[in-house]
Amino acid sequence: MLLLKILYAFLVVGILGGVLGAALVVASKFFSVSKDERIQQVEDALPGANCGSCGYAGCAAYAEAIAAGEAPLTLCGPGGAEAASKIAEIMGQEVEVSDRKMVAQVHCRGTKETTSYLYAYRGLKDCNAVHALFQGDKECKYGCLGLGSCMKVCPVDAISYDSGGRVVVDKDACISCGNCIEACPTGVMQFVPYEADYIVACNSKDKGAAVRKYCSVGCIGCKICEKKSPEGGFKVENFLSSIDYDKMGDRSEAAKGCPPKCIVRVDSLIKGVDEKA
Amino acid sequence: MWKEFTKGLFRENPIFVIVLGLCPTLGVSSRVINALGMGAGVIFVLLCSNIFISLLKNFIPNQVRIPSYIVIIASFVTVVQMVMQAFLPDLYDSLGVFVPLIVVNCIILGRAEAFASKNGVGASILDALGMGIGFTLALTVISLVREVFGSGTITLFAFGDFDGVVRIPGIVDSPARVFVLAAGALLVMGYLKALVGIIQEKGGKG
Amino acid sequence: MSYLGIIITFVFINNFILTQFLGLCPFIGVSKNLESAVGMGFAVTFVMALASFATWAIYHLILVPLNIEFLQTITFILVIASLVQFVEMVIQKISPPLYKALGIFLPLITTNCAVMGIALIAVQNKYNALESFVAGIAAGLGFLLAIVLMSTIREKLDNEWIPKPFRGVPIAFITGGLMALAFMAFDKALLNNLLG
Repeated sequence: MLLLKILYAFLVVGILGGVLGAALVVASKFFSVSKDERIQQVEDALPGANCGSCGYAGCAAYAEAIAAGEAPLTLCGPGGAEAASKIAEIMGQEVEVSDRKMVAQVHCRGTKETTSYLYAYRGLKDCNAVHALFQGDKECKYGCLGLGSCMKVCPVDAISYDSGGRVVVDKDACISCGNCIEACPTGVMQFVPYEADYIVACNSKDKGAAVRKYCSVGCIGCKICEKKSPEGGFKVENFLSSIDYDKMGDRSEAAKGCPPKCIVRVDSLIKGVDEKA
Repeated sequence: MWKEFTKGLFRENPIFVIVLGLCPTLGVSSRVINALGMGAGVIFVLLCSNIFISLLKNFIPNQVRIPSYIVIIASFVTVVQMVMQAFLPDLYDSLGVFVPLIVVNCIILGRAEAFASKNGVGASILDALGMGIGFTLALTVISLVREVFGSGTITLFAFGDFDGVVRIPGIVDSPARVFVLAAGALLVMGYLKALVGIIQEKGGKG
Repeated sequence: MSYLGIIITFVFINNFILTQFLGLCPFIGVSKNLESAVGMGFAVTFVMALASFATWAIYHLILVPLNIEFLQTITFILVIASLVQFVEMVIQKISPPLYKALGIFLPLITTNCAVMGIALIAVQNKYNALESFVAGIAAGLGFLLAIVLMSTIREKLDNEWIPKPFRGVPIAFITGGLMALAFMAFDKALLNNLLG
């Protein structure tokens, strides 16, 4: 009796497995979808972050578009030059790539203590939402609104608050997809080269006197940076200093001499420490 | 080597950190004894399946590996079912449908796929024990909270004159019944998971 | 039990997610936005309906006559795994966008407690073939209802001020708990009132 049960058990499971397996094999032939094998190769060459900055719904979709000849090969920001050249090899084409990795950084150091606000905001926790109300609750209409719309769209969680409550981007984690730059309503989120040592952490194009009134760490357009570090690539336009990173000169003198201390070291940003230049 | 064992206890605790195997966690944690029984079952299945899969990993073709793992796991679950039905019928009745559901417990298939199929038998044993005990610990914590607040008791094994139920004075007369219901389980899980998050951050900083 | 009774029971009174704890992993994992929740819900319903029928057949036509009911767990999971594989193939052929949208979660339906759960419960409750089929559909619809409701709530929660330790999984659980509390309103009395 027991032996019979064991026999039945073996038979039933074995036959069931066999029948189901055979059925699946038949079905797979019936429902087969022919795939260009280059699609998988291209997909493997992409970083797989599925960030969407290429404009396609994920790396698989972009790979398909490339294989179908519908998409340019250089749309992948995170993949950069490396991915583009690999894909070019797979597709048997040539590409022109620039090798400079760009990372996003927040060009604003304002906090509740150093900047003035026009109203108290108690709405949706979204920068674009508060921006719809008089371009934000800060008096400075160019500054970081701090509600984290950039954090929500970052596929690798590279953006966070530092100890002072400012929004900072970890440049080592940034994959250059550009989602945060699109999400930012005031334009404080901008690309800088990965090797950039300093940034001008301000985005305000208001006159110096006006900036002084509403923010103690904003750029007043005094041009001291241009004078102190003439080879550093500083240029003041519209009362705002910016850095031309093709110039490789020293920038530390400008940082030391900047009155509102808005020229900051990128490396110190992620630790939440204000560089005492 | 020892790390393979300890990681399952806290740092990669399957319930609180990896968040797998949720169904039995919430389903059986209304009494402590259920949690312990389920934990024991899961440890057994996890251990046996990890050992077997680790031994057979070089013989199972890649295309059929998931179905094979499932059949191996299902066989051991059937063993647990039969043993529990024979020797612990009350426990079997309380756990109900969750005993056969051990076969679809993501933790077991997850460890088989992620670990046992790539590592030796020794490491797989430690991994299984760590994950299983971690699972049981987490399950016990949840059920302690739920049973104490929800029925005012702690139900353990009965032996001798002791019927196994520890009654907590004060609560046992008017407990907050919601805790032993579905809603309470989900709420407790949410708060505990938030607590774990806070502990993790403190641990990360300190 | 009448068919209407079965439907009401599995969609509302014994809702798989909010009352029975079956199908929690995708409930927490796939409910971030409405489209994937709907896709997942329908895929699971489809699999559950077919699975409950197929497992009824296996149990009553093979296991019981040969007196090997103990093989229930193994054979059921084999059938379910094959069914999910089959559904994956069909979806890939018929609707590649849906296939892409569901992604990894489609094969994960195999380990979804809800599918195995309905198969086991249908056998436990001694349903006949049609009752099992209807129960499968109803349970799937209950799952769909819960996961769709959850996804709409979570989409709104994304824009709210939530304390850091609670973001993500914890607040999802608490939301689920509140939904379960609400669903407690559906109990046996509802069944009696509706069916007399």
